[in-house]
Amino acid sequence: MLVNQTIMQHQARPEVCAPVLEVEHLTVGVPGVGAIINDLNLTIRRGEVVALVGESGSGKSMTARSLMRLMPSGISILNGSVRVCGDEVLSLSEEKFNEFRGARISMLFQQPHVMLDPTCTVGAQAAEALHVHRHLSAVEEHERVLQLFRDVGIPEPEERMKCYPHQMSGGMAQRVMIAAALSAEPDLLIADEPTTALDVTVQAQILQLLDRKRRESDLSILLITHDLSVVSAIADRVAVMYSGEIVEQGTTQEILRNPKHPYTQSLIHCALLEADETGQLYAIPGNPPELLSKVEGCRFRSRCQVAEKWGHPEICSRLAPPMVEHGGPGCCARCWIGAPNDMQVQAIKICQSDEEGHRDDC
Amino acid sequence: MWIFILRRLAVLALALLVVSFLVFLIPYVGETDPVRALARARFGRLDLDAAAIEALRIELGMHRPLLVQYLDWLGNAVIGDFGNSYMSREPVIEQVWSALKVSIVLTLAALGFAFAVAVPCGSIAALRQGSAFDSIIKSLNQAFVAVPEYWLAPMSILVFALYLGWLPSAGWRGPESVILPALALSLRPMGYFTQVMRASMIDVLNSPHIVAAHSRGLSIRRTLIAHGLRNAMLPVITLFSVWMAGLLGGAVVIEVIFAVPGMGRLVYSAIVNGDLPVLQAGLVAIVTFAVLINTLTDLAYTVLNPVVRFNNAAA
Repeated sequence: MLVNQTIMQHQARPEVCAPVLEVEHLTVGVPGVGAIINDLNLTIRRGEVVALVGESGSGKSMTARSLMRLMPSGISILNGSVRVCGDEVLSLSEEKFNEFRGARISMLFQQPHVMLDPTCTVGAQAAEALHVHRHLSAVEEHERVLQLFRDVGIPEPEERMKCYPHQMSGGMAQRVMIAAALSAEPDLLIADEPTTALDVTVQAQILQLLDRKRRESDLSILLITHDLSVVSAIADRVAVMYSGEIVEQGTTQEILRNPKHPYTQSLIHCALLEADETGQLYAIPGNPPELLSKVEGCRFRSRCQVAEKWGHPEICSRLAPPMVEHGGPGCCARCWIGAPNDMQVQAIKICQSDEEGHRDDC
Repeated sequence: MWIFILRRLAVLALALLVVSFLVFLIPYVGETDPVRALARARFGRLDLDAAAIEALRIELGMHRPLLVQYLDWLGNAVIGDFGNSYMSREPVIEQVWSALKVSIVLTLAALGFAFAVAVPCGSIAALRQGSAFDSIIKSLNQAFVAVPEYWLAPMSILVFALYLGWLPSAGWRGPESVILPALALSLRPMGYFTQVMRASMIDVLNSPHIVAAHSRGLSIRRTLIAHGLRNAMLPVITLFSVWMAGLLGGAVVIEVIFAVPGMGRLVYSAIVNGDLPVLQAGLVAIVTFAVLINTLTDLAYTVLNPVVRFNNAAA
């Protein structure tokens, strides 16, 4: 119920502006071994908040890191295209891309404390992006950081600028990180679970702050979270990620009220924390497939309870499901069950001929 | 902050008290009678009669109870009077002081050089893990740590002093005479410093705040200088102080071979010659400086690491 109430406050925003972020066929993984993120497509318009949800290990954070080109060593972008306000960034040299980082795309992290250098004042760290990208005088820089600190709600900003990270609470440290991330006025903010490590009251404040910044400066936000209440509170659109793939995308209302993909349905079921008649909370059975592993058919098949009741579960185990558009604008799900009839018929034929082929072999 | 310093000074005083008692006991734990040793050193004769020895014992006050003697000795030691050397008959304190100055210069030169080389080399090796540079640095480190000083010192004299003639072969006259012994002394700590710097830089490079700094658009070099070095240097500074305390009185081989009149050689010859007052004063001086250096390192740590600073302020 809580989820539904919050959605009601959202109004559809006009969708005329040019996309701030366009990701096409992004594939990230270990060269020669396999992919961690598979064929990811995502578009974020100006002033839009898109939530990327999924359980841990689904590749959400890796997606964020890949967009910033800050993957751990050994992992690289294998294929695809990422455009920021129309500019392709994957082909840029590291040096050139540094001009994007912090200036046009910024990032927020899960644990603000470990993300700040313990030996450096927070004021100095918040000024860094400005220093690198905006070349202001020392006085202007100080003034700007002061103003940013005030803006993100840090009390006594002048004193706080001289503080070290360990002297601040988690919420304050995250505000510093927000000030640092927004200092050079980026187009896109990638927020990787920005409230997960904070307690609930602080969570709400940080979300309000992000929402306000979005309204004030037309900031686009890619919000990575596993918390559906956060999604319903702030996101315009949602992309659901499972095992390195986006399995469903759509408006927040559509996804939360009328999810098409069985995984999304299970996820929402989990979030409602409803106990069944035996008093047990619902949990999705099984575990997601291992990273880098190759799975035939749908990657959710082994945990999917809907496929069992469906007429043709053999297709799900055999063929990768197509991304099928349905409902509202930009709404789509990667599932055989919602696929058009002719596609299903074709898939059934392929499966049958496969089986006959197997029989002939024997 | 002041409370922190005062507390460290109290620790210093306590450590010195314990050490002074142990040092005071040295003459009494050996097999030889200290009075006999003194008489031997003073008169150069072994066949002294018992009556003369007893007379000397009373003259020196060594017939009194041990504790009384200790307090007497301690009282003199506090005002810097450790007696006269058995050998030179000069006040011990002057000898120790001049040797200490030499040792401080030598150790600082050696460790400063080791530090100056280790920080950039260790950092670059960490940045280019597995590269040719990393491998070369690694093998050099192992060589530096393994090479014995008694081989290295004569070899460097042979090459730089006798063959090339660039530097004086021994003695302690002018800045150029510092170079060879300091260099020979620096290699081993340099090996350790570089290894520790490399390991700690790798740790720091993997820490999340480096990723965050990078995400603000700082280049790798800038990130490293602004956020890597300071954090990565902390363990090396600890190591520096340990080596400083160790080398002040422990550079015996180098000081003997290069004829450097430092603490190591002073204490060594005091042991060889049975010059007990020099030995006692030398040991007290070495321990005093070791504890002082530890305190200074803690202060340096406080400056470099605000987390420690905060905790100290709270205490």
